[in-house]
Amino acid sequence: MALNLVKDYGIIGICSSYQNNLKADGLVKDLNINNINKALKMVGLDDNILNKSINDLTLSEKLKVELATKLQENTIVIGNISNSLNFKDQEYIKKLLVKLNSDYHKSIIVIDEDVTVFFNLVKRIYVIKEKQIKYETSDFFDEELYKWVKCPKIIEFINFINENEKRLNNNIDIYELIKDIYRSVS
Amino acid sequence: MEEETSVTIISTNLNRKLLNKYPDYHVIDQSFKLDDLLQYSKIIFFNILNNLEENKVKEIFKFLDNHNIKYINITNNSELSLLTNYLIIYDENNILIEGHTIEVFKNEKLLKRLGIKLPFIIELSLLLQDYNLTNKIFLNKEDCRGALWP
Repeated sequence: MALNLVKDYGIIGICSSYQNNLKADGLVKDLNINNINKALKMVGLDDNILNKSINDLTLSEKLKVELATKLQENTIVIGNISNSLNFKDQEYIKKLLVKLNSDYHKSIIVIDEDVTVFFNLVKRIYVIKEKQIKYETSDFFDEELYKWVKCPKIIEFINFINENEKRLNNNIDIYELIKDIYRSVS
Repeated sequence: MEEETSVTIISTNLNRKLLNKYPDYHVIDQSFKLDDLLQYSKIIFFNILNNLEENKVKEIFKFLDNHNIKYINITNNSELSLLTNYLIIYDENNILIEGHTIEVFKNEKLLKRLGIKLPFIIELSLLLQDYNLTNKIFLNKEDCRGALWP
């Protein structure tokens, strides 16, 4: 189902749970990855990882290795970024996914339960539960979306401040929000 | 950390080897029933609470507090750290910084370099200080609104 959805948008987000599916024993170097050194470098790993046992990988390494195995695919499905990566690595992987879409024309499906992962990344968000699309939107400030999934703190804050009077613009960037607050209180 | 009853651990590179450092804590890494936790005096949650609604996590922690059960929450979600008193930041194996939660988050530059995102309200408070709009660190949006738009 998701493969049909992504054709129109290039990069989509799916709010759902996801199991990282790097299920293999053995060493990283034994995985079937084309141009393995280049693929690992692209996802932010160095050659040291080649001789590491897959079972000994950290959550972050597992996700990056999984992504490396998928770089040759036309549609890349990756998930659980929020649970596996620290914030710096999340931003790195998100930029990589954008590049894979814009420069290499890959379709990207990101699956996560944390909507903030989709900021500056996806063009459309789908809520899928029990294999059905329950909701879809392109607007992070769509209130209906947050009847299905947890609302990001920045959006919750702006909606709260604007409860009785429109004081702040819709923003997903905290630095733009600060400027907006400054203008509002000055 | 020994005296603390509620602790959050955030790692820059999360892995299960961290659990070896707390051998006397029972590990919870999949769904559970609250009542099942009563049999333990020390519990460690491994990356399992991240996507729960905050009120649900508060409910779990309150239940544990009421039954004098010590707990550690290992998580990538810095927002949840505001629900415990003590915070420890690890790299893969070693403690980088620890202390009472708000005090740890005042090391903003170090944490950003490590790739740790501050909880939204803490980051907002620190930016508001930079703009001379407050000298406080807010812990909730209600106090923040009250201070900025009295």
